[in-house]
Amino acid sequence: MQDLITVTKILLRERKDVWLSIVFGSLAGLAAVGLFASSGYLISEAALTPPLYTLTLMIVLIEVFGVSRAGTRYVERLVSHRATFKMLANVRTYFYERLVPKAATLTSSHRSGELLARVVGDVETLQHFFLRVLYPPLVMAAVFICTLLFSAYFSPWIALILVAGLLVSGFVLPGLFALSKQREAARLREIRGQLGAETTEYLSGFRDLKIHQQLEKKEAQVLERSYDYMEKQAKETKRRIFQDGVQALAANLVTWLVVLSGAYLVITGDLHGVYLAMLVMISIMVFETAVPMATFANYSEESWHAASRLFSVAGNDAGESSPAAEKVTEPFKKAPAISAEQVAYTFAAEPRPAIRDVSVQLPAGSKTAVVGPSGSGKSVLLHVLAGVYPAEQGKVDYDDIPLAAIAEDARWASMNMVLQANHFFYGTIRDNLRIANEKASPEEMLQALRNVQLEHMSLSAEVQEKGANLSGGEKQRLALARTFLKKAPLWLLDEPFSSLDSWTTRQLKTELFTKAAGGTLLLVSHSLTGLEEMDQILVMEAGKVVEAGHYDALIAKKGYFYELKAIEDEIVL
Amino acid sequence: MDPLRPQAFAQKRRMFFLILFTILLGTALILQAYFLVKIVDEAFLQAASFEELTPLFAGLAAAFFLRVLLNVGSGRLGTSMAQHVKKTYHKQLLSHFAKQSRLQADKGQTGEKASLLLDAGDELDPYFHDYIPKLLQAGIIPVLLLLAVFSQNLYSGLILLITAPFIPIAMAVVGTKTKKKSDEKLKELSAFSGRFLDTLQGLLTLKVYGRAHEQTALIRSSSLNFSHATMDVLKVAFLSTLILELISMLGMGILAIEVGLRLAIFDQLSFFTAFFVLILAPEFYNALKNYGTAFHTSRTSLAAAEKIEEELAGNEQGPSWGARALSSQDMPPALTFRNAGLSLNEEEPLLKHINAEIAPKSNVAVVGRSGAGKSLLLDLAAGLVEPTAGELLVNEQPLSDYSESDWFQHISYLSQHPVLFSGTIAANIALGATAEASRAQIEEAAEQAGLFPLVEELEDGLDTVIGEGGRGLSGGEKQRIALARVFLKRPAIILFDEPTVGLDVRTERLLQTAITNLSREATLITAAHRLHTINQADQILVLKNGELEATGSHEELKQTSSEYRQLVHHQKGGA
Repeated sequence: MQDLITVTKILLRERKDVWLSIVFGSLAGLAAVGLFASSGYLISEAALTPPLYTLTLMIVLIEVFGVSRAGTRYVERLVSHRATFKMLANVRTYFYERLVPKAATLTSSHRSGELLARVVGDVETLQHFFLRVLYPPLVMAAVFICTLLFSAYFSPWIALILVAGLLVSGFVLPGLFALSKQREAARLREIRGQLGAETTEYLSGFRDLKIHQQLEKKEAQVLERSYDYMEKQAKETKRRIFQDGVQALAANLVTWLVVLSGAYLVITGDLHGVYLAMLVMISIMVFETAVPMATFANYSEESWHAASRLFSVAGNDAGESSPAAEKVTEPFKKAPAISAEQVAYTFAAEPRPAIRDVSVQLPAGSKTAVVGPSGSGKSVLLHVLAGVYPAEQGKVDYDDIPLAAIAEDARWASMNMVLQANHFFYGTIRDNLRIANEKASPEEMLQALRNVQLEHMSLSAEVQEKGANLSGGEKQRLALARTFLKKAPLWLLDEPFSSLDSWTTRQLKTELFTKAAGGTLLLVSHSLTGLEEMDQILVMEAGKVVEAGHYDALIAKKGYFYELKAIEDEIVL
Repeated sequence: MDPLRPQAFAQKRRMFFLILFTILLGTALILQAYFLVKIVDEAFLQAASFEELTPLFAGLAAAFFLRVLLNVGSGRLGTSMAQHVKKTYHKQLLSHFAKQSRLQADKGQTGEKASLLLDAGDELDPYFHDYIPKLLQAGIIPVLLLLAVFSQNLYSGLILLITAPFIPIAMAVVGTKTKKKSDEKLKELSAFSGRFLDTLQGLLTLKVYGRAHEQTALIRSSSLNFSHATMDVLKVAFLSTLILELISMLGMGILAIEVGLRLAIFDQLSFFTAFFVLILAPEFYNALKNYGTAFHTSRTSLAAAEKIEEELAGNEQGPSWGARALSSQDMPPALTFRNAGLSLNEEEPLLKHINAEIAPKSNVAVVGRSGAGKSLLLDLAAGLVEPTAGELLVNEQPLSDYSESDWFQHISYLSQHPVLFSGTIAANIALGATAEASRAQIEEAAEQAGLFPLVEELEDGLDTVIGEGGRGLSGGEKQRIALARVFLKRPAIILFDEPTVGLDVRTERLLQTAITNLSREATLITAAHRLHTINQADQILVLKNGELEATGSHEELKQTSSEYRQLVHHQKGGA
């Protein structure tokens, strides 16, 4: 609930549009009621041979109501949609700002793609929150109150029936339905998730399932699960249709009661007969404004779910954590020495730590390589040293200053980082290089491109979302070009050459070592060739550093590194 | 055009009831109006007593009730219809995916396919429980109401008849004009949220370069710019609704004036008739307008259905199988590729003119550059895909003559990236069993595959549940679980895609001795990457651009094949 209140607060920043929507929505509702009421009154009057001016007046009223109903509805739609779009922009920026501090955990978890797509989808879902959840009850209440006051003038009893009807069909029933929907929807989503997982497994495991003769069994399993899901889904839909029916029945019951008591009151002489048709028409029409409330249960559940998921990712605490008192806020000008002592890190929901008891020393200006089999924790170690993943145990120091005492911005500014998945944005090559150094001149950018063997690339060439139009090798070279432009003294490179051929790798490595001559450098590498010039090599296995030393020493030792190297040398194609 | 409508009308019984319900619904509407008007008339003008009205109240209640009941009934019928169609689609899609799965699986489309399957389920519903009933209502109810109105008052009937066509005309005119524009906008909208996603995915990069916060303003301004553009399109859509509302409001207004004047001044009508017409008029217009809204929601369902139909249209044929038995004595068999080829959708063939003899228990290495067709050749040999040209003979008979289950009982495929299923480690190993495997057999296989150090480290041992795709296990551990499957199966033919990078030394050693042991009693076909493996092979197949460039032993090929010399003596260089 707290989550939706926060969302409402963000929405209410567009106060003017909200008010306008409500005003015009109410006017539209009232005009419709007015149209019905006046036509009911018109024919009743007409039946009694009234003076002509009454009829003329009523006819004018009918036309005015008719036209203004359509007109106000139009304005209402415009204003409320404009409001929605503005709110969406606000919600988007709000969540973006909250997600920035969580960048590391967001983009590095196993299911980050899914997670982020969900964030975007959930933000989009919230656009219904105003239009379908927050706003219909307000409009309905406004229309009802005016209508009630009007009918109370003619008959308090009928007004009372309408009040009861409003409470039941406008608030009690939608509220009840929203509660039951919440339970059902959670169950349905769970089944959907399982079905999705099983389907993916069926598709990706096709070959193994086929060879092991399990394909048909699995297919039957998936099909059974999917039928089960569809049964439940159909049941849910049918339940919703039933609920709509209940709501319609409640509205009809109210009209019926209005007719019943109206007729009774006319017969007993407590109500003039000429108003009866009008009151009946009012009661028919006023429940039309309760129609949007039928979808209330659905959308309120969706919004609630979207908001709570968003906040579970982004956090719903009041402010950012206050910075510690004595923080280093200036970036490192000179290459820092880095030391880690007994650090460990475990991914969420995994039984074993990804790295443990790792201690490393990177002297200022030294060059270190980290090697080892896949899943041994090389990349995790780099992320822990960079402060992207917080070390669970032990400590990481830069020049004997604890990582926590260095302001985040200063830390990033000190670092040239190439990740395994480097991100490129929609725009041009220039835009994508400029993020590394705003002041870089076109000449400098072109020089950086030349340095990474991309001289054929134009600065104004288009880059698609996620760099989709770039090859893996081009992306790695552009990422390296960024670091060349940034000129920071600490280099943290996570398999920067993995998509490049050996010739290009050699060229770029030479260039890298020229540029990083005075810097502290850590290079995670799956390849074991060309590591002779490194000051030290850390060999990892199963989350631990099992060997460390210079290339020659490791080869002479004939240990783990030696064996890995022998295997690599065997591979010819 | 509309792939769903025939599927709705094909469900004849449900359709019959839907039509019946709609006719009854129209009748209920007329009855409801009749009772309502009669009561007001009696109480207001005829000075009836309350008791006299009782049957009318009962009738009104019944009409109200019937109306709701029929609406609920139609919706439920529609939902059942949808369920029927969805089940059919799911079944078709699954078997369709299974047929093409082998060739497409590596292209990383599994996520897309899974979501097609799921979304199809979610998005088809409204077409059947909303659009179809509304379509029928728009066709049937106005006619019934018109008949009722005409029976009472000719002029009112004429007013309805003349104004009604303006609604579909307005819908059609504005609809076609806005449809294209709004479709474009919708595409832009998804592209736009794609861009937001793009920024989120690049958050770490932005942060590393200290740019995260300046994006906030950018997101906001592009959000707003986009909304301006969208509002222009929406304005047109709202304008169309405005026109519709104006038509129906004006129609009702004219009607009210007509009956009012004729009642009061010309005295040509009774109050009953006038009120009756007045109450039916909004129902008349609503039936038409509702169709418009339902039409709009049906577009989403249709788009989903079209996506499914498109996917199903790609005709995929899985391998065919026969009934010939393969007994263990026939194993390992002699394999003969006779001019075998493989092509997809009439494109350039992926493999062509493959001629090779593979003797029982021999050790064959397939070499070639990446993309030369090594893994496709392994798939052919495994019977996972069928040659589209030539044939593969097993003991002199086409593979397609044999029984599928007999064949696969003797095959193991060890890939570079083994697939693990969510479940326990033991269950993952048991997948390799041809018959029900005992616990002892599974443990033995696990031990042979070198899984014990891992198993001992884990609290639940072999019963540890591993997540989707073996999350949390290292590459070597996954490989060892896959190896245990092979030990459990003891196959006659082993297809082995040799690992290139990333295994730990222990797994490497294990794999080598295991493959040597297993291949003593089996034919081994390896997509080879290592000199040692190639040297050990009895026969080497050199692939180049999908064709067999040469076959022979290492020594022979060094002499005869330039491609082989290039491949094997390819200088790795000091990268």
